Amino acid sequence: MAEFFIRSLDASTIFTIAALGELIGQRSGILNVGIEGVMLFGATLGFITAKTTGSYLLGFLVGIAVGGLIGLLHGIFSITLGGDQVVSGMGIWILGFGLTTYIGSPYTGPLGMERIPTILGLSPFFFVAIGLTVIIWFILSRTSLGLRIRSVGENPEVAEVSGISVAKTRYLCVVGGGMLMGFAGAIYSLDYNPVWNYNFLLGRGFIALALVFFSMWNPFILLGGSILFGTLWQLSLNPQLFLPGLMSRYIWRTVPFAITLGALLLMSTKWFRTKWGAATPEALGQPYVKD
Amino acid sequence: MKIGSHELKLERRVSLSGWQATGISILAIIVALAIFSIIFILAGVNPLTAYAEIFSYAFANPFGLPLTMNRSIFILLCTYAFIIPFAAGLWNIGMAGQLYAGSLAAYAVLLALGVKEFQSAELPTTLVILMMLIAAMLGGAFIGGIAGFLKGKYNINEIVVTMMLNFMMFWVVSFFIKEGGIFMNPGGRGESFELPPSLQPSLIFGIPFTIFIALGAALLLHFVLHKTKIGYEIRAYGENPTAAAYAGISNFSMPLLVFIMGGALAGLAGYHYFGAVPGVYKIARNYGYFGDLAFYGIICGLISRGNPLAAIPVALLFGGLSIGARFVQGKMGMSFGVDFALLGVLMITLVAFQFFYRYKFIWENSKGEP
Repeated sequence: MAEFFIRSLDASTIFTIAALGELIGQRSGILNVGIEGVMLFGATLGFITAKTTGSYLLGFLVGIAVGGLIGLLHGIFSITLGGDQVVSGMGIWILGFGLTTYIGSPYTGPLGMERIPTILGLSPFFFVAIGLTVIIWFILSRTSLGLRIRSVGENPEVAEVSGISVAKTRYLCVVGGGMLMGFAGAIYSLDYNPVWNYNFLLGRGFIALALVFFSMWNPFILLGGSILFGTLWQLSLNPQLFLPGLMSRYIWRTVPFAITLGALLLMSTKWFRTKWGAATPEALGQPYVKD
Repeated sequence: MKIGSHELKLERRVSLSGWQATGISILAIIVALAIFSIIFILAGVNPLTAYAEIFSYAFANPFGLPLTMNRSIFILLCTYAFIIPFAAGLWNIGMAGQLYAGSLAAYAVLLALGVKEFQSAELPTTLVILMMLIAAMLGGAFIGGIAGFLKGKYNINEIVVTMMLNFMMFWVVSFFIKEGGIFMNPGGRGESFELPPSLQPSLIFGIPFTIFIALGAALLLHFVLHKTKIGYEIRAYGENPTAAAYAGISNFSMPLLVFIMGGALAGLAGYHYFGAVPGVYKIARNYGYFGDLAFYGIICGLISRGNPLAAIPVALLFGGLSIGARFVQGKMGMSFGVDFALLGVLMITLVAFQFFYRYKFIWENSKGEP
């Protein structure tokens, strides 16, 4: 039982870090629906690096760097070229899915390295995730940089007039966010489940995207949501732990996705919105063109 | 950038003619293929040889051409499943889930008629096939309709919803065809029971009859989107839902309608691959592969800019490319997934080219002399 909860927290680590990356970007007004693609890139290239060099550190660094590069690409498409952010995000996801399938397939199989040591039975990245949550909450709500990011996401025209560079701030956020997504992908392929397989993320990136909407752009609600979804995900993988024999294991696999739909439904209701105060960044998804 | 007395400048397009859009789309495909040659070079394959192999296998080979046609019909139906919501400004990336549902519904008809048990249906073949088609449309429309309903009623992001439904339906198919599911093949190989030969629709010049459905859908969609009131309302909603609401266009029924229509077409794509393509005639074990191929529909829809007629040649090209890429992968000993890598490169190049639909380069004489 304890093992189940530990695995759940490990699963939630991936959701948390990837979703924090998306949250930063969205706070600055940039929507990236291609989280899954960025994660696939970070996971696959991190995995290949670690496997060929035998170094976890290099694997993680490559995962983070690749995530940042893909974030930069999304920035170029959506900030400099002023394109449709959904088109660009979908492009990044399909590129990630297509290219990593090809690049990774010769490396199919287990990583074959000594596992990363745990702290109190938990993956050390769980603590990293909590640390990142606090840091990002602090930056966004307590620092001038956070104010800058939020103002760019709320009203870029006003921000620009008050002397903030919208483009620079947004680039900072999408690249930083991409790095976190790549990091989350690398945690998956190097620590959580160190086996490379075709399209192995199975929608975790999209759940992370849903989590950001669910979190009302608050890092702490996001952390709570991630732990909830991590537990559900783990439960769907091992239903026999709690409810042996109830429903086919295939039907259990649909549960996290069904619950995501339920959560989205709940948070779209008027009751939820007025209770928690929806703080959608006003300029989310809108390209900003300086006149 | 300045060269002599002339300067290269970017200018925002005021309008974009059909021919200009076509030109940009063709250029995007050529650039994507050029970029993709890097993948061939890295794998130690001469890109010119590779492309020659791809095109000759896909379009001039007696084995390859029928595969290309089957694949193109599939991509075309998936494209239409994408295009209709796209005309309303909505993203249907749930073709995979919708086509799984369509296939399950089509096979449910057979199960209900006792085909699994007796290997034949008492009803006339044409009637059974017609029932399968209708069931496939209803199945796809139902899953599509969920996304449309949630968007229309609660304004929930349709991208997340359709993607969640893809994953759910993926496992639901496993539930039905594997480990004792009701559609399981008695041989138990993790696939559905097979269509008896009497229910395998006959081919026309080696091509499944579903080609007429796909081409018919092209004409119908072209007519509906451009010549009817409902098409006008769909496009008006796509331009600006708020303004459309003032004009009396329901912000609830519009998303629901476009997703039901799109889902129905994706359902037909499911019937096509698992009910009409020679050599398959069952919900195959690797159904997930076909679900992933459905994403070609997104690119095809984007590159043809939502034009159902323009999508026909694009789907033919992409069908051929994906079949040819898979062939070259085997022949040149490249690793798995060349066709998916090509999908990705085409997509990202297209994203970059979106820019040129809005801007153009112009040469300006900076000294004001001719």
